[in-house]
Amino acid sequence: MSEAKAKLLFIDDDSIFLAAQAAFFKARGYDVLIAEGSDAALEILSGASPDMIFIDLMMEHHDSGFVLARRIRREERLKSIPLVMLSGVASETGVGFTREREELKSWSHLDDFIDKPVSAHRLLKLVEHRLSERKGKLEER
Amino acid sequence: MAARILVVDDEPGIRSGVGEILALEGYTVDTADCGRAAQELVSGTSYDVMFLDYRLPDVDGLTLFQSIRQKSPRTMTCMITAYANIETAIFATRQGIDIFLPKPFSPDDLISTVDTLLGTKKLRDEAERLRLAHEASLRQLASEQSQTHSLVASLRDGVLVVNRQGEIALANRSMEEILGIDSGKLLRTQVSSALAEGVLAPALAAFSPDSPASVVFEAEAGLKRLFVTVSGFYDETGGLLGRIVTAVDITAVRRMAVEKARFTRTLVHELRAPLTALKSIVEVMRDRSLGNDLDPYMSFLARADERIDGLGELISDLLSLSRIEHEGAVQAPAGPTKIAPAVYEAAELWKDRAAAASVTLEVDLASDLPALAVSAEDLSTILTNLVGNALKYNRPGGNVCIGGVRTSEGLEIAVRDTGIGIDPANLARIGEEFFREKRSETKGIEGNGLGLAIVKRLIDRAAGRLRITSAPGSGSEFRVIFPC
Repeated sequence: MSEAKAKLLFIDDDSIFLAAQAAFFKARGYDVLIAEGSDAALEILSGASPDMIFIDLMMEHHDSGFVLARRIRREERLKSIPLVMLSGVASETGVGFTREREELKSWSHLDDFIDKPVSAHRLLKLVEHRLSERKGKLEER
Repeated sequence: MAARILVVDDEPGIRSGVGEILALEGYTVDTADCGRAAQELVSGTSYDVMFLDYRLPDVDGLTLFQSIRQKSPRTMTCMITAYANIETAIFATRQGIDIFLPKPFSPDDLISTVDTLLGTKKLRDEAERLRLAHEASLRQLASEQSQTHSLVASLRDGVLVVNRQGEIALANRSMEEILGIDSGKLLRTQVSSALAEGVLAPALAAFSPDSPASVVFEAEAGLKRLFVTVSGFYDETGGLLGRIVTAVDITAVRRMAVEKARFTRTLVHELRAPLTALKSIVEVMRDRSLGNDLDPYMSFLARADERIDGLGELISDLLSLSRIEHEGAVQAPAGPTKIAPAVYEAAELWKDRAAAASVTLEVDLASDLPALAVSAEDLSTILTNLVGNALKYNRPGGNVCIGGVRTSEGLEIAVRDTGIGIDPANLARIGEEFFREKRSETKGIEGNGLGLAIVKRLIDRAAGRLRITSAPGSGSEFRVIFPC
């Protein structure tokens, strides 16, 4: 078996979503880590450095995703990993986090903010885009 | 109708002469030869004009006049006398005599006197009518004003009426409270100074000459949220008479709007979560991520099925909540509903689930339980939810008991379980819409957090109470107490 394209970490409180993302991305040659909740995520991150992280916003609390993202960003080792927030909280209905979205994005150093339900194909495009971008940056250096 | 005239004179020649002349002119004439006869006539008939001799055999003319005037104030009186002098005339006029006719007088003098008196009477009557009408309208106005004042005073909304000069003409108690000003202190002060410092200062924008017709804004007054409008009021020709400032307390409306937004946000999340899971499963299958063989997908499909059922339940619960809200907090008297059938129905409904979870389900009802003033449907919903929760949050080998007993407070239905219990920190939030305990023990337990919200509302509208006691690790007890 050839070497994995990249290592992805999915953090969500929905085990079905996690299992499905794992199946989808593994079939496309990615190494996938899954964490059901913030605590599980921190445990995984203590021993692994994924190439990209997807975090669900509402897990234990309404804003668990933001808190977790900020904690991840504090660690030097994890600082520059592309971070994507996924949220089922209504954005287009005008309630929820719409107004503060940009502010929160910078507060927790997010790279992207995506509404659920989301297509795995869209996530795949995002992965390819972010990783090629990162590769370009690394080569520049 | 012809005017009625009374002639009072002791001289027969005057009585007949005057009577004839006036009758020829078309008047109706009565005559009296003395005071007593005159009194009798006056008590039965109302006269327009009276001719009165200055001297009568039984009484003097002025004394008679005073007594007649009391009974018949609108009669015009002409004093006739042969002893005319200016002093007598002045004195008689001061007493209220309308005109003075000295003897001897010609028929023309008599007729012109009657014309004058009737003309004057007409004017006086008209003036009196107008005076009465004016008085009546003043009384009506006063009562309308007092009605308006008490109406405005008792309004819960703040009202301020400002005249064209910018002076406060009316302010009710609510407005004084909003502005924090003592009772009555606002009246006749300039609106510009009265509102300058307070929360209603933006209203002043409406008071400059070139200001817009009306101003609308929201203001905070302490813990209250106010909706303030300023609008002009005008006379029939469209001229500005003044402006009215009203401040309506919309705190409750605002709070409801905030709660509704929170509810919607949570609901959207609850609807999107299963959709997200379902979509991811569909994509895995379409992508054939697990290969061409169907078997590896079966566990995904089983879980997809569960999520679809969950969505169905969520929709049913939303409909129940909506129905309860629609029916209002106070329900028409329902029932009587017997408890035992509803309890056994709930037990039967969950029997298979209990067996599958290795939980025993028992019923322990006292024998003399009265029927309840609650609808059978509501009671069934309450019991189904409580028993369902007792099973869901239980453990293999556990027990659920539905008990019914009469207490001093009323009728108590208790659902006890030996399950995982509730974290004391979360106890207050149990029954809050969409609230679900997130602990390691609750992982994998399906639910949407609306069941107890529905139960609480149904109990509330049956005037009952819900008491929850719980010990984490050993179980919970949900007691519903209905008045009876």
